[in-house]
Amino acid sequence: MATTRILEWLGRFYIVLLLAFLYLPIIIMALMSFNTSPFYQLPFEWTTDWYASLWQNDQLIAATWNSIEIAVITTIVSTVLGSAASLALYRYEFRGKKLLQALLFPPIAIPWLITGTAMLIFFFGIGIGRGLVAILLGHVALALPYVIVVVSARLRTFAPELEEAARSLGANQWQVTNRVTLPWIMPGVIAGGLFAFAVSFDQFVVSYFLSTPGQTTLPVEIYAAIRKGFTPEINAVSTIIIVVSMALMLLTARFFKFGGEK
Amino acid sequence: MAEQLATGSRRGLKPALPLLLPAYLWLTVAIFLPLSAMVFFSFMTDLPLAGKEWAFTLGNYAAFFSQGIYSTLLFASLRLGLEVTLWCVVIGYPAAYVLAKVLKGRSREAIFLLVILPFWSNGLVRIFSWAMVLREGGILDTALNAVLPFKINIDLMYSYPAVIIGLVHSYVPYMVLTCYLTLQAIDDSLIEAGRSLGASRVQVLWRVIIPLSMPGLIAGAALIFVPVVGSFMEPRILGGRTGTFYGTIIEDQFVAVFNWPLGAALSFILLAVVLVILALAAPVLQRAG
Amino acid sequence: MRMPRLTAFVTATAVFVSALAAQAAEEVHVLNWKGYGADEPWAVANFEKATGFKVVNDFFNSEQEMLTKLRTNPGLYDVVMINAAFNDQAMAGKLIQSIDVSKLSNYADIAKDKAGSPMLNHDGKVYGVPWVWGLTAVAINEKSFDKPPTSIAEMWDPAHKGRVIIRDDAVEAVQFGAIASGQNINDIKDMEAVKAKLTSLMPQIKTFWSSENDWNQMVASNQIDIGTYWSGSADRAKTHFKLPVSLVIPQEGAVAWLDAFSIPVGSKNVAGAEAFINYMIDPKFYVEWVTKVGAPVSANTKAVEALPEDAFNRKVMGNPEVAKRIQFQAPITDEQREKYLALWQELKVNVK
Repeated sequence: MATTRILEWLGRFYIVLLLAFLYLPIIIMALMSFNTSPFYQLPFEWTTDWYASLWQNDQLIAATWNSIEIAVITTIVSTVLGSAASLALYRYEFRGKKLLQALLFPPIAIPWLITGTAMLIFFFGIGIGRGLVAILLGHVALALPYVIVVVSARLRTFAPELEEAARSLGANQWQVTNRVTLPWIMPGVIAGGLFAFAVSFDQFVVSYFLSTPGQTTLPVEIYAAIRKGFTPEINAVSTIIIVVSMALMLLTARFFKFGGEK
Repeated sequence: MAEQLATGSRRGLKPALPLLLPAYLWLTVAIFLPLSAMVFFSFMTDLPLAGKEWAFTLGNYAAFFSQGIYSTLLFASLRLGLEVTLWCVVIGYPAAYVLAKVLKGRSREAIFLLVILPFWSNGLVRIFSWAMVLREGGILDTALNAVLPFKINIDLMYSYPAVIIGLVHSYVPYMVLTCYLTLQAIDDSLIEAGRSLGASRVQVLWRVIIPLSMPGLIAGAALIFVPVVGSFMEPRILGGRTGTFYGTIIEDQFVAVFNWPLGAALSFILLAVVLVILALAAPVLQRAG
Repeated sequence: MRMPRLTAFVTATAVFVSALAAQAAEEVHVLNWKGYGADEPWAVANFEKATGFKVVNDFFNSEQEMLTKLRTNPGLYDVVMINAAFNDQAMAGKLIQSIDVSKLSNYADIAKDKAGSPMLNHDGKVYGVPWVWGLTAVAINEKSFDKPPTSIAEMWDPAHKGRVIIRDDAVEAVQFGAIASGQNINDIKDMEAVKAKLTSLMPQIKTFWSSENDWNQMVASNQIDIGTYWSGSADRAKTHFKLPVSLVIPQEGAVAWLDAFSIPVGSKNVAGAEAFINYMIDPKFYVEWVTKVGAPVSANTKAVEALPEDAFNRKVMGNPEVAKRIQFQAPITDEQREKYLALWQELKVNVK
């Protein structure tokens, strides 16, 4: 069918346009990491000085590692806990389920500034204090609702009969989950994990309240820097992160299937 | 493929607990308990710090209703949230469809990942980049003037459209991915069946595809609408002098003055309004689907 | 740059709490604005070499946040930088302790009017050591002016429509409006005049700035002509970043502020704190800070005299004519602050 062909090509073109829109600021960010002016001044003058000075900036590098570490742990923990909770909300019918679902929205709706302040007071009150542990506690909690909402959306397309059928064929609960349900919701779990990483990695407000001098994250360093000492070193470190993640992602896409293809 | 059922097949809280408990326990310690402290503060005249006198009051909530500026701004923020959500649907849904139904194999997996990747960079650095694009003499201005035969002045920076562009950019991946999740689950044979029965493309889209992907649309819309209503960073930097929204005045109560009780009360009003809107909108959307 | 061990977090709750308690005594924890002298790497290195103490810097982004950090972290900080107008509040909240100035060899050189400021002295005890002072005045983009303006009224000139910026800060905006309407910033009698002045300024404004970086980026891309700015920042933009910025102290006057160092209650290293404060008010540190980075005016008269004759901080800021025009910020009550904020929010909302 010729129309279908044309429509499919239009669709592909549209995806390219969308990616161009999404990556436009990223490309500018990367270009500015090679520009001499710290104020994004044009005309463009090529330099690699910002990468050289980034190499010397131990504080920024340490904060970057902290961020990556916290984001990775947050992603793993919140994806596992969140997927489990979504399964429970999907499988079982009980009183108060609607309330539990509604409770997912306060962490998203209340501005992070208030949540961060509340965490600071509370963690201080119960003796957790500030630091990387507190940041991790906070990040997982902020990421959980995203994971649960996303995985639940995928679960809603899942036919419960499939689980029942597997059960009637003698599979136990674990086998049902592992062989039937999980493969089906995998795209949702992956998407939830990607969001969790983004929420944690770009989280400024909560990290800011919970960080201590030696234990900060990259966004905290960046926001502190824009007051006075913002330099394109920050663009440089962001560019490196994006390029490395992109390579990792393309490799992942090359070797694993998770898009839910049958 | 079977009918899409939203409800669970089994009854009882007890068997659900082992799966539910870890997540909700974590949320309780890190979010619900701290926020209850804030709820408590929101009914106080002053913070019980530094030996200050305090008493219980409803005054912080009353302030919202007695001063027109708060409701004006809340309305502006809700409108912003709605507009951004609609743009995300318009831009994101077709992309999700192409991703789910047109692209196949590795390229689909790769694009699935690439859509979210820009958001592994810092939000503030991204906003700075938008400033370069949108300002007078910026990239958009220069590029358009290089192509067009006549001279135009593009200066979108520090305006409402700039806020919309920045926010849509930040949130559209949520819509793409959540819609993808439900669109991909639709069996192709269902679409083909509709077509072979003589339904037009539009009819299939309207009667089959959109209803079946509704859970993804709703999830995406909620994940976009809710945080945008409370946002203040993007509006402030991209909106300039027009960038004052409800989130700004909440922030001010914490940052500029030490009035946490009022700031907390304002944010719980925001939460209540958002929850009511979600509760009203979800069934309507479900039925429409 | 070592990848911290992943497992460290998991068991770390208890470890973290005990680690806090067992904080090494020779560390000096300093709380200040980022990029504001105390965290300059060369300064930290010099201080550490001279005294053997180790400096740990932490930062705040607003005065309210600084107070919150002090309240929620008793015993964590040894030195805190507080705007003199907030000193009173910090002392009343039992957040800072009195300082034994006999331990500070440089204290005697601090200008008498600054050291004796009633904002820093309570019941005959010193609660803050004056460090630097500066102005919230007006700065211009040199490319837009043949000759620097002398009056604040320039900001209302239709020629600059859409090319004016002011800081997104209620107190600063209201005090600026007070100066523009010829009033005392610490005793504003005619709030309506302030409101009218600011209302008529709103259509001129391009955006509100909140950090030095905002200002510098906008001048670098030639998007603004004139706006309110801090004297130290204008100096830094010009000398350090080579931007076409110059400071104007309008004939109507300018707002002056005084920053001072205090020692928080519960400091575990008072001796280190005293050594650090003394180093911060030392002429040698100050000259290096001005030369390398750009800085506000030192409260130490010897430090200012150590600058070259024609230095901005000596020639302009030390000019008796200027001294007559400026008004030092006095403490502001919470009620006033909230009133200013309400006015500022109303102005910002109505601009739409």
